[in-house]
Amino acid sequence: MTNAIVTPLTQALAEGKLTRAELKELMQRSNGPGLVHLALWLLLLATTTTLVVLAWNSWLIWPAMFVQGVVLVHHFSLQHECVHYTVFRTRWLNDLVGQVCGYIILLPHRFFRYEHCDHHTYTQVTGQDPEQVPMPETIWQYLLYLSALPYWKTKFTEVFRHAMGRLSETEKGFIPKVEHAAVYRDARMMLGFYAAVILGMALTGWWGLIWLWFIPLLLGEPVMRFIRMTEHVGRPTVPQMHENTRTSLVSLPLRFLCWNMNYHAEHHYVASVPFHRLPVLHEKLRDHIFVEKGGYLGAHRDILRQIFARQA
Amino acid sequence: MSRDWRDLIAVTELEENWVTRVDLGPRKLAVYDTPSGVHVSLALCNHGGADLCDGYFDGHVIECPLHQGAFDVRDGRAVSAPATRPMKVFEARVRDGMVQVRA
Repeated sequence: MTNAIVTPLTQALAEGKLTRAELKELMQRSNGPGLVHLALWLLLLATTTTLVVLAWNSWLIWPAMFVQGVVLVHHFSLQHECVHYTVFRTRWLNDLVGQVCGYIILLPHRFFRYEHCDHHTYTQVTGQDPEQVPMPETIWQYLLYLSALPYWKTKFTEVFRHAMGRLSETEKGFIPKVEHAAVYRDARMMLGFYAAVILGMALTGWWGLIWLWFIPLLLGEPVMRFIRMTEHVGRPTVPQMHENTRTSLVSLPLRFLCWNMNYHAEHHYVASVPFHRLPVLHEKLRDHIFVEKGGYLGAHRDILRQIFARQA
Repeated sequence: MSRDWRDLIAVTELEENWVTRVDLGPRKLAVYDTPSGVHVSLALCNHGGADLCDGYFDGHVIECPLHQGAFDVRDGRAVSAPATRPMKVFEARVRDGMVQVRA
């Protein structure tokens, strides 16, 4: 190989959308913003956990668990940033926090990293992007995806398959052979951890984590599915990054929850830019990418319009 | 068989504490200005083929801009997945203000 592959970044540099000096400046990392964000995150988690505890003996526990769940499922956003090493400058901190997030949401960190690599290489290329969410053809398919039932089925199947020492043909394509054993080991450790948690609750007779963790996670996951759909679904299934990815402009609390991943097209253009610099990158690239000014709701209006147009 | 030292780039042309892309014939090389001196590797990531010179560089670690796999530029060791194989590094030195490599 004598020539570099063409990536969204090399295109952006070649087309003058971004200069090399700007790129260098945007990529600079530090631990401060990530640690501050993480401290606020833990405070938020403590608050939502307290809400569930306060609502323990009333029907209010259900809305409280939903709120807790919305925060819990956003550990995906933090884990995603850690996969890219864009939360902390210290690399092992990204690995550690990413691993913890993975244990919270049933997503082994190493496996996610390899899968996510192909998502960045083949974004929205049908048959090659392992994270592609297909455009629903009917409103029922749309609602089924949002229920998160297919998602959980996939995740449980995945982790059990790996724990049994097997990979699908697609997975063999993006996980190097030298890492197969480690992926199997990760899955076994994760299942062992959950088994230990459940055994611990059975032995102590305290089943609180069911209400503080497991049920909230199930209640909250549809919200994460709703957000994940806004990233690419409904955009053209072509390799061009300025076409296939959607940036959604959302409020500060939502940006806090998703660690700025609403700036999704910017992230795909330059995945090395730390999460806290994505708003600055947005200012550089906003005229070259697809921006949904109506936020997550605007993105879903677009998706629904396309579904109904197909059915008409 | 030992190879000859070849001039690559003037030290003054290197990006300070960063990575600089240099062509040596058909080869694309990455030259790193590090706390322990100048190091040189092939410029293309051995995982996905992206140009490491567009990546993030910190201390002795170069990170691929495409998937964030990373290598230690001193010995080429892969330090972060998805990089699993060491990258090709070259013996380098500075003589009379020129970075030289044995390549």
